[in-house]
Amino acid sequence: MLKGEKKITTVNLGKDNPVFLQILGICSTLAVTNYLKTTMFMCLGIIFVLSLSNLTISFFRKLIPSKIKRVISILLIASYVTIVDILLKTYMPDILKQLAPYVGIIIANCIIMGRVETFALNNKPIISFIDGLRCGIVYSFVLLIIAFIRELMGNATLWGYPVLGDWWVKWGIMTMASGAFFLLAIFVWIVKNKFTKEDNGVE
Amino acid sequence: MVNKFLSKLKINNIAWSLSMKRVLWALIPSILSSVYFFGWRSLFMILIVNIFAYFSEYLFIKNSNKKVHSSVFVIATLFVLTLPPSLPLGMAVIGVIFAVIFGKMVFGGFGRNIFNPALLGRVFVCFTFGPYMMGEWPAPPLGVLKGFKCWIVDGLTMATPLTDNSMALSPDLIMGNVSGSLGETSALAVTIGGIYLYWTKSANRRIINWVFISAIFMQTLLWLLNINEQVLDPFRAICAGGFLFGLFFMATDPITAPKHKEAQILYSVFIGVMTILIRNFSFWPEGVMFSILLANVFVPITDYYFKSRKKRKKIKNAS
Repeated sequence: MLKGEKKITTVNLGKDNPVFLQILGICSTLAVTNYLKTTMFMCLGIIFVLSLSNLTISFFRKLIPSKIKRVISILLIASYVTIVDILLKTYMPDILKQLAPYVGIIIANCIIMGRVETFALNNKPIISFIDGLRCGIVYSFVLLIIAFIRELMGNATLWGYPVLGDWWVKWGIMTMASGAFFLLAIFVWIVKNKFTKEDNGVE
Repeated sequence: MVNKFLSKLKINNIAWSLSMKRVLWALIPSILSSVYFFGWRSLFMILIVNIFAYFSEYLFIKNSNKKVHSSVFVIATLFVLTLPPSLPLGMAVIGVIFAVIFGKMVFGGFGRNIFNPALLGRVFVCFTFGPYMMGEWPAPPLGVLKGFKCWIVDGLTMATPLTDNSMALSPDLIMGNVSGSLGETSALAVTIGGIYLYWTKSANRRIINWVFISAIFMQTLLWLLNINEQVLDPFRAICAGGFLFGLFFMATDPITAPKHKEAQILYSVFIGVMTILIRNFSFWPEGVMFSILLANVFVPITDYYFKSRKKRKKIKNAS
């Protein structure tokens, strides 16, 4: 068990990254990465939902009959998403306005279902919780980098403050979803090239 | 000669192919007209963009034994000729790098791309630097020598023939003495190049014929029905904008056009009709670019369908 724990706790940003290697959860990658600020809160929401739903389902994993495990896990995830929604509504209504449809879509984020099904249903609570945190952080890492580039190139701002001067010509395509597609593609390309080579060297 | 020069620099040679050479020959009148009407900067732009296109392809194949295919120069030259004269050089370079890498090399190099790379590059620049691509259309300078005596045309902007309905049919429109993108304003120069391609069969005659017929048919129909006041009469509509340029150089691209007879007809009619529809019923003044890219999307499936239908017919006839 200790071995497994070690394996999980090492946050490897390139290898075993759900966005890069399984191309999971790219819908939100494309939709919310317009601005760094909204992306940050989206990421926090996803980390929260992912880790806690992993923890809870892992607690009850022996009680859930295998026939209805998916229904129960979706219900659990949905309740956590509702908590995130309510929290945002009370404390940060501005950000909720920008994120509006995408908070609800956290429930359909493939990473969460994937981790719950493959990991939390077969492992002990604490490990599952750590795994959820790890996946969430790794996912946010990708999202934040894409959001950083998109906001910088598309709006010449960072976190809402103008960073680049007037000389910068704003790249219109970066504010559209297609810009995120291209960035993600370039990103996956670079990372895969680098890390698959490393893998071949090890094996 | 170019190969000798390049081998002195110790970089890869270029694999020239006859059809690509012919397209480059056919583009010479358009390049001359772009210099004549918009100044020497356009030639400089073509040179710089070609160099960047060469190196962005070179980056991909430097580890293999392949040579840089000459189609990259066709892509770069076609791409520049569709740009507005006053576009900053950096944007053209970004566009061509995108066109070569994402339009061609990502799919596996020459002969494997789905979309026309030059048009893909133009769409990218169009969406990325929108105001630069659509706002400014400087008019050609006055005088006999026009662009031959200046580096870049002044910022005197003028309505393009596509947006200005009052512009009468004049020799200017055919010669190209109007504002517009670098290579497409002169219908005469484009047609000379196009006829050369048509004559030598480097361009597919069926596609040219069908695109031309369907576009004229559609435009005449709209013109006779008098849908709105923006509809130009067919002859002016053909001469204005990038229609002829797209017809001769873009739609006939042998890689992205379909291979089967019926698929080619379908593809051509789609381009002709869509061009006119986009021109008259949308926010964009010109529709050639979008219609060719849209038609490219359907090329693989129509080709596949007609191929399998042919096979089925053969089996039926045999049995």
